[in-house]
Amino acid sequence: MSKGYMGKILRADLSAGTLKIEPISEDVAKKYLGGKGYAVHLLYRYLKEYGSKGISPADINPLGPENVLIFSTGPGTGVPGFPCSGRYHVMALRSPLTGSIGSANSGGEWGPYLKFSGFDAVVVEGASEKPVYISIVEGEAELRDASALWGKNVFDTTRILKRKAGGKNTSVACIGPAGENSAYMACIVNDEHRAAGRTGLGAVMGSKRLKAVGVSGSEEVPIAEPEKFKEISERCLDSMRKNAVTGEGLPTYGTSILVNIINAAGGLPYKNWQTGVNPDAEKISGETLAEKYLINRRACWGCTIGCGRVTGVKSGPFQILSSEGPEYESVWALGSSTAVKELDAVVKANHYCDELGLDPISMGSTIAAAMELNERGYIPQEDLQGLDLRFGNAAALVESVWRTAYKTGFGKFLALGSKKLCEIYGHPELSMSVKGLEMPAYDPRAIKGIGLNYATSNRGGCHVTGYTVSPEVLGIPEKIDPLKPEGKAKWVKIFQDFTCVVNSTVNCLFTTFALTARDYAELLSAVTGWDLDEDEIMRIGERIYNLERVMVNKYGFNGKDDTLPSRLLKETMPEGPAKGQIVELEVMKDEYYKLRGWTDGAPTPEKLRELEIEI
Amino acid sequence: MAKVSARVMLFATLRRKYGAKDLIVECNGTLPDLIENVSKILGESFIDEVYDKNRDRVKENIILMINGRNVRDMEKIEIRDGDAIAIFPPIAGGQPQRK
Repeated sequence: MSKGYMGKILRADLSAGTLKIEPISEDVAKKYLGGKGYAVHLLYRYLKEYGSKGISPADINPLGPENVLIFSTGPGTGVPGFPCSGRYHVMALRSPLTGSIGSANSGGEWGPYLKFSGFDAVVVEGASEKPVYISIVEGEAELRDASALWGKNVFDTTRILKRKAGGKNTSVACIGPAGENSAYMACIVNDEHRAAGRTGLGAVMGSKRLKAVGVSGSEEVPIAEPEKFKEISERCLDSMRKNAVTGEGLPTYGTSILVNIINAAGGLPYKNWQTGVNPDAEKISGETLAEKYLINRRACWGCTIGCGRVTGVKSGPFQILSSEGPEYESVWALGSSTAVKELDAVVKANHYCDELGLDPISMGSTIAAAMELNERGYIPQEDLQGLDLRFGNAAALVESVWRTAYKTGFGKFLALGSKKLCEIYGHPELSMSVKGLEMPAYDPRAIKGIGLNYATSNRGGCHVTGYTVSPEVLGIPEKIDPLKPEGKAKWVKIFQDFTCVVNSTVNCLFTTFALTARDYAELLSAVTGWDLDEDEIMRIGERIYNLERVMVNKYGFNGKDDTLPSRLLKETMPEGPAKGQIVELEVMKDEYYKLRGWTDGAPTPEKLRELEIEI
Repeated sequence: MAKVSARVMLFATLRRKYGAKDLIVECNGTLPDLIENVSKILGESFIDEVYDKNRDRVKENIILMINGRNVRDMEKIEIRDGDAIAIFPPIAGGQPQRK
């Protein structure tokens, strides 16, 4: 087996109550790398296998035992000196929130510690009758009873299981009450405040009655060419230190530095995307967070950036002893989209998302959609049961989060996500989502390329899939005009393919502010012993993106679903630097499909052959 | 040229460095004159915050917006009465990198 891998996958069948160890396939690793890529390959095999048994993709219940959940790392994860390699990826055959493929990525320590415990990936099939957790300690894996943990929040669960496992390199990924109760935007939280946030993977885990996966170990990740790797690593880490974003901006202010920047550009969605200018942006900005609530910064395993924010609220109705975050997208969803300007309330709501296991982006966006529905008179008051859901109501924001986790009162509606919520109340157009996944924090009427990315992102409305905000607003790697639709397709494709490489390596996307595809090719070659160049690396990324798209198509999503909410296509931006703008999506899409080699949102057979994807 | 009055907003590390957040500054309608006048309030070093060594081009790694438009996206840079200038230091924009 090539180096960089531990060589083993743990396969858990929770219906049968069995654990099996299987080898990593060298051939698959060479084509799909690891992490997201390897997981997509495995999930496609499940889809085919189910098909041969007469189970069509539409028959797969996202909360049924036939769903499959995969935690995966890549050859870069947990390698000391591999920049920011403290991450892992999680995928599900089907997301309860979107009905398409589920996918999320997280930091902290869990990814490296899975590898140190002896495994590259954990595949979870079936569903247990009683709550269980998976314990992996120094290569030994066990299924254990989790009845005493069921009902506990993320923090208590993590602390109990860490104490039980003991050991130095111990980490727990678990669900809170939200996942247990099948809230559609429930997430998986590791190390108390890091989350595989999007697409409702916490609900999938809860439906399997899998409370947690605890990992602990002391193995080292093998490296093919240690001396060469050291040289390349030092060069890359030096680039990152000297880069303004990774060396100064993110360490100093964290991601919420973006609040004032994106607002100044007229693209900070406010009041459920009614406009892109927030008059109270300063109050919820990174500058204000640093001034009022920041205690310290925090880094994931092996990370030199340290963008994590340790925060606390000393007094008042939203008091918290210690928390982490909120990140920019969380501040936006829980603060700007809801028009809540009390930053301490946003910090508290974000804290509840960690404690109870909810994706703050989908949570905040769903609350904002409910606020607009309510202000327009579309929600009967008896459904609200006294929850005063109006824009700017900080108390209602915080209350909505725990009500969603426990599906109590109006929370049972919020727990469905904004798409189903808005459909129930007769106004689907007020869900600011794509393919059922709520879009994060950048209005594409002001930043057009991100609009094309939202529309074509495989997992739904997602910014990190292809973060063109980087060239469009931040000017990295070069400055392009955010208001022009021309030429955006090329950038969206490059970013989408490169992000697949990062999510399959698995390390942190923030390295790409400073590192290039060539850096990745050199790092991975030195770790694995392969001879990769930047073209081959990008081809692997493109292969992963296309196979994932094949699966998305199989769930019935095609060109008509590569779209944006009508607000962004038809309602002009009412104010600010992008006043009068809409998103010229069709023009960008045509160019994008040509570059991708797709027809009507689906890869052509020629494209699949070219990428050596066997379907 | 007629004098115009513009609002200059500083963000992130610039606030602490210069002890200022929000200024109203007069200028002759050009960016160099505006920055020169800001530097008379905040100190000479402010010019080097914005302009490169030769003081003839805005630094590539800062974000300078006029009414929300980055000057690097503008064909003609002029300051009109009531304009809002936002300046972000090189913490949100970096050295150009080949992808």
